[in-house]
Amino acid sequence: MLTIKALNKTYANGVQALKDINLEIPTGLYGLLGPNGAGKSSLMRTIATLQEPDTGSIHFDAIDVLHDKEALRRQLGYLPQDFGVYPKVTAEDLLDHFAVLKGLTRRSERREVVEGLLQQTNLWEARKRKLGTFSGGMRQRFGIAQALLGAPRLVIVDEPTAGLDPDERNRFLNLLAEIGEQVVVMLSTHIVEDVTDLCPRMAIIVKGEVLLQGEPQAAIDLLRDKVWRKRVSKAALPEYQQRFNVLSSRLVAGQPQINVHADSQPDDGFVQVEPDLEDVYFLKIRNSQSGSAALA
Amino acid sequence: MWLEFLRFDLRYQLRQPLLWLSGLIFALLAFGASSSDAVMVGGAVGNVYRNAPMVIAQFLGVFTIVAMFIVTIFIAGSVLRDAELGVADMIFATPMKKRDYLFGRFVAGELACLSIFVLISIGIMLGTVMPWVDTARIGPFSIAPYLWGFAVFVIPNMLLIGAFLMLLAATTRSMLLVYVGVIVFFVLWSVAGVFSRDISNEWLVVLMDPFGLRAFGRMTRYFSTAEANGALPPFTGFLLANRALWSAVALLLLGLTLALFKPQRPDTGKRLWGRVKVQAAATPTHSPVSGLRPVRPNVSAATPWLQCWAMLRFDAVGVFTSVPFLVMLLVGVANFIGGASMGGRMYGTRVYPVTRMMLETMSGSFTFMLVLIVTFYAGELIFKERQLKVADVTDALPVPDWVPLLAKSLALLGVIAGFMAGGVLAAMCFQLIKGGAALEPALYLQGSLQGSAFFVLMGLLALALQVLCNNKFVGYLVVILLLAWQVVFGILHFDHNLYNIAGLPEVRYSDMNGFGHFLTGWYWYLLYWSLFVLALLLLARGFWVRGLSQEWRVRGLLAAQRLKGGAGVALALSLAGFVATGGWIYYNTNVLNHYVPGNEQMDRQASYEKKYRQYKGQPQPRVTEVQARVDIFPAERRVMIDGHYRLVNKHATPIDTLYVQVVPDVETVLKNLPAHQVTLDDALLGMRILKLTQALPPGAAIDMDFMVTLRNQGFTNDGKPGSVNLNGTFFNNMQLFPALGYGGNELLDRNERRKRGLGEPQRMPKLEDEAARANHQLDGEADWIAFDTTVSTSADQIALAPGYLQQTWEKEGRRYFHYKMDRPMLPFFAYLSARWEVRKGDWQGLPIEIYFDPKHGYNVERMITATQKSLDYFSANFTPYQHKQVRILEFPRYATFAQSFANTIPYSEAIGFIADLRNKDDVDYVFYVTAHEMAHQWWAHQVIGANVQGATMLVESLAQYSALMVMEREYGREHLRRFFKEELDRYLSSRRGEQIEEQPLFRVENQPYIHYNKGALVFYRLREEIGEAALNRALKRFLQDKGYQAAPYTTSRELLGYLRAETPADRQELITDLFEKIVFYDNRVVEASAKQRADGQWDVTMKLHLAKLEADGKGKETERVFDEPVEVAVFARAAGAREADEKVLFSEKRRLQGADPVLTVTVKEKPYEVGVDPYNKMIDRVSSDNRKQISLE
Repeated sequence: MLTIKALNKTYANGVQALKDINLEIPTGLYGLLGPNGAGKSSLMRTIATLQEPDTGSIHFDAIDVLHDKEALRRQLGYLPQDFGVYPKVTAEDLLDHFAVLKGLTRRSERREVVEGLLQQTNLWEARKRKLGTFSGGMRQRFGIAQALLGAPRLVIVDEPTAGLDPDERNRFLNLLAEIGEQVVVMLSTHIVEDVTDLCPRMAIIVKGEVLLQGEPQAAIDLLRDKVWRKRVSKAALPEYQQRFNVLSSRLVAGQPQINVHADSQPDDGFVQVEPDLEDVYFLKIRNSQSGSAALA
Repeated sequence: MWLEFLRFDLRYQLRQPLLWLSGLIFALLAFGASSSDAVMVGGAVGNVYRNAPMVIAQFLGVFTIVAMFIVTIFIAGSVLRDAELGVADMIFATPMKKRDYLFGRFVAGELACLSIFVLISIGIMLGTVMPWVDTARIGPFSIAPYLWGFAVFVIPNMLLIGAFLMLLAATTRSMLLVYVGVIVFFVLWSVAGVFSRDISNEWLVVLMDPFGLRAFGRMTRYFSTAEANGALPPFTGFLLANRALWSAVALLLLGLTLALFKPQRPDTGKRLWGRVKVQAAATPTHSPVSGLRPVRPNVSAATPWLQCWAMLRFDAVGVFTSVPFLVMLLVGVANFIGGASMGGRMYGTRVYPVTRMMLETMSGSFTFMLVLIVTFYAGELIFKERQLKVADVTDALPVPDWVPLLAKSLALLGVIAGFMAGGVLAAMCFQLIKGGAALEPALYLQGSLQGSAFFVLMGLLALALQVLCNNKFVGYLVVILLLAWQVVFGILHFDHNLYNIAGLPEVRYSDMNGFGHFLTGWYWYLLYWSLFVLALLLLARGFWVRGLSQEWRVRGLLAAQRLKGGAGVALALSLAGFVATGGWIYYNTNVLNHYVPGNEQMDRQASYEKKYRQYKGQPQPRVTEVQARVDIFPAERRVMIDGHYRLVNKHATPIDTLYVQVVPDVETVLKNLPAHQVTLDDALLGMRILKLTQALPPGAAIDMDFMVTLRNQGFTNDGKPGSVNLNGTFFNNMQLFPALGYGGNELLDRNERRKRGLGEPQRMPKLEDEAARANHQLDGEADWIAFDTTVSTSADQIALAPGYLQQTWEKEGRRYFHYKMDRPMLPFFAYLSARWEVRKGDWQGLPIEIYFDPKHGYNVERMITATQKSLDYFSANFTPYQHKQVRILEFPRYATFAQSFANTIPYSEAIGFIADLRNKDDVDYVFYVTAHEMAHQWWAHQVIGANVQGATMLVESLAQYSALMVMEREYGREHLRRFFKEELDRYLSSRRGEQIEEQPLFRVENQPYIHYNKGALVFYRLREEIGEAALNRALKRFLQDKGYQAAPYTTSRELLGYLRAETPADRQELITDLFEKIVFYDNRVVEASAKQRADGQWDVTMKLHLAKLEADGKGKETERVFDEPVEVAVFARAAGAREADEKVLFSEKRRLQGADPVLTVTVKEKPYEVGVDPYNKMIDRVSSDNRKQISLE
């Protein structure tokens, strides 16, 4: 169980990246959803001991993370959002190197782990290749391989599916789900389906604030009977946006189709639709935007 | 279109703070150079104005090289910037022409660079008008030299460098590789410079220099002061050719850039070499995680160390396989091999590649690359993870904070060790290939460890600074500033190693004396700076950045937290140790020893002159007998002298005041003097004035006894070798014995004098000063003395002094030697002590002994032969040898000369003992130096001149001539040509460095370039003109008449009288020109052609140019009529044969009419070359154009 209490962080340039974050994260896959720049990475880096919060606490089981970083690092597997590799080193060598740094100092054990992970992430054939020649997907798989070194009990993966093709993405998420059966896996993404499909629990973060946390289905249930859809003309779109709480608009066959949040049918032509997590997500974002707009 | 690129880019460039920052720094340097002596660039020494046209031009030229490293940023950056900033795709997608793009960018970069040079010029101009600048050293202002400098150096060089950088940037697309290219270019340029010291392949050397500075150097090499102050070399010949060549190269490079530049993203174009292997994508399979046994980290106390080792290996391998390291290693090795094959040469003759030479060459030509390597890789190692964005992964790994810093420090040490090992390997291969010298692995180990100490300190320091600065470029800047600090401090005479970062005293290894006693001080300094570096590293550990870098406040708090406990205690301890060691060093260098910076030394000289010059010429009793008991304790480096002088009043008046000059750093006690009163005792400057109660009447004598104790305690700051050593002690009486009268060691540099309020320097009394003839050249209130000494040393050494061994004995574990000279000798004697091997020879029963280090037996036989041949020639042609023995004694290489004392010749291990004479064509300078020193037994020890102008001609020029004659007899005339070429070059190129005034030979004021180099040329020419027999007759008569004479002593003018007596009437004028004037010739063959006649003979027609010039002391020249015969010759040479194998078809001395005579001669064989003064016997600044190949018709 990862427990985060009253976490705050303001950067030197005045941006408040984390605002009083409180989260309880049990074993299993935990989705962190939010738009770009919402503070997901700041939160994950803070948990991964890479940056200091201003105030607050983080506990992982018995470990006080902020005061015993070393202990957490021994339990941790971390895949940063945007990470690099040494271009002239082979996959096998670098993974072996990271394994030593992870504390796998016995050679035979280490070889077993490295080989296993390379196979698991489908890099076995490419293990002698220099990392500089890897494609984005291979590099991402290498990233997850290193994150899984040393059987971590807390796995933090930041936007892991960015840049993966649909096939790779599926395989990757399956892998995460499997790991999530035993350990805490924290996954950040701005792709809503990833969370819907996989995560028993989730949180939505916008501008450093947790707007919602809990089970995705429970959040969706709250919107039941309140999401309406209509196809409108391009010309009329601005008017609709002004009049209604438009959650999203997308083009379907060249014509805008809008989802609107309302307690009752807002207008002729609106049909009620089954809500999904995306509607929840957009509702939270819209609400937070209008809130700050009101403040401004 | 290109104008738009230009405008946009220029605006960008001019807004870069770096441009102005570097421009200002350079301008400041220029300002410093023109307004003070703190920065020396451009050669404004002696009488050359600070703003002499030549100095300004040279300065601008030199700066084009220095600026190369900065300019890279502007020029290469202008091509690479777009890709770095990610706007390349956008720009390349516009319909621009690449020609416009490149051209606009290039011109903008060039203009930005030129603006730096405008700032530099302003810096020079401002510097010269500063109120503190001595106006005597400033010439009239003129804008012309600046324009000249821009036109000849700045613009062409910037074009070339710019084009070169553009090409590198456009083809490699990597700033790193561009920098590597710049470094390689620079190092190759320096290496080419080393080879250019060999004067023979002149055109090649001059053309090979892309900066044109060597062409400029060649054309101004023989500039006199007047020329340097008044003019710039004509833009013709070497300079024009060089500039034209390299401007063409610049255009070519630009064209290449245009052709090779692809306006595309990097790595998407066609590869220039080979093909990337396309690998088949692996077929995806999926195996479940559950199949994997979970392996948890096993954490134990050993884990961090294992991690450290892994990181160290990973980082070190990373450096060893990186391109810049390998390039620098290769360049270093190439440079080393260049240095090793040229190093230690004298007159073009090599030395044996002994291990200490190899180590020394390494430190000069190889190890210095480590400054670049450690500076560069300190930044790379610290920021590598962050640059590659691996840091987020590695920082979250369970590795303690201290592990990466320790691993990186050790990796850097590994890099240094690897680099040094590469050098040692290269050196050993070199030794094996050249052969003749023993490999000394232990010495290699110690020497290379010692050689790398500075770089270890600098590297770790750079590492710590990179961590602390937390920005790679700021870190580099700080390190560069530190290095600059050392240089500037050195120049400003702040040379205590206590505040010169990583400053270690010099340790000079000698085969004789090993590392001597120098290591103690060196180790203390090493400890001192190691503790400093350790403290900084501990601090860096506190400020180590993990994860997101924090603002300074947070970093400070974190550091405070981390430095609680063990690390903090260690920091405190290392700082305390640093301070304590510093105190101990201070005690040693400044309390036990005296630390006198260079400028303070000059202040003392000045103050001595101001206070005591008034006593110059006061009559003093003169020393007639010296007896001394000298005890040398090599292990303690202590000397005790119990001496006795007999002083006689040789003047017509009574003497009541003694001015006794004692050596300031040495304890001197005067004893047994008649009743007197000490009226002054200046311990700092070493002057004592004693008033005798009863004046010493004319003719009367007194005794003066003295005890001198020299103690060497502790260690000194500079670690400079002294004269008393563990093995190889050598000192003379002037270094330790008291002397009488004003001991005028006056400052000679007129600029330093002016600064201290002293008048014009006076090197020597005028030739016409009859009163000065009361003293001979050695001065010191003594004429010829009786000498008797007993010297003792440790049981394993031999001690020597002039005179003949009377008795030797051992007592209480020490050896004693009693030497006594059987006839009066000059008041100049030396003491030596060392562990020697002795080789004996003889000349007509007269013993010759060589005392040498067992490792240096190479040329001992040559020395014996040279001694024998010298005795043969000198006793046959001059007068008999006055002593019954000759001894040559090797002393450590801390000084590089040989010096003749009566029957005793100390000879440095650095000149000749290791000369490699295996090639018979090389100049045998061992033979030459030995003959020169032997000649001093006549020229000095038989005839010594009065202490007036021309005195050193009598001693040195005549020794040169005598040695040349012995040499010629042994090796033949041909052998001497290379020697003369060198003498001519040294004479001509030293003239501009003259501090006061060039004198004609017979008025030489102890100016080595005149009495050695010009002296050899003049006497050899004289012997060519009047013949060896006549010249030697004159010298013999001179020796017979003036040998062992008492005051008034002889002069160069008297010698000229003897020479003139043997010279035919038509050569009298020549004697005047050679000795009493400064005369140059400018002879050359303008055209030469030949036509075969019907009878098979050849008519050779040559057009010559003859000129004769007379210079004054400042080098101002006036033309004279060419009034003497000159040698004209025609040579034949087989195809491909060397000059040495040529055949003389015609040679005649002719008196030719006019400055541009044409003459035709007939020869029997097919001619190859004609020459006017073909053997360069006349002093001609361009000796290579005296011969010309004949064009056959």
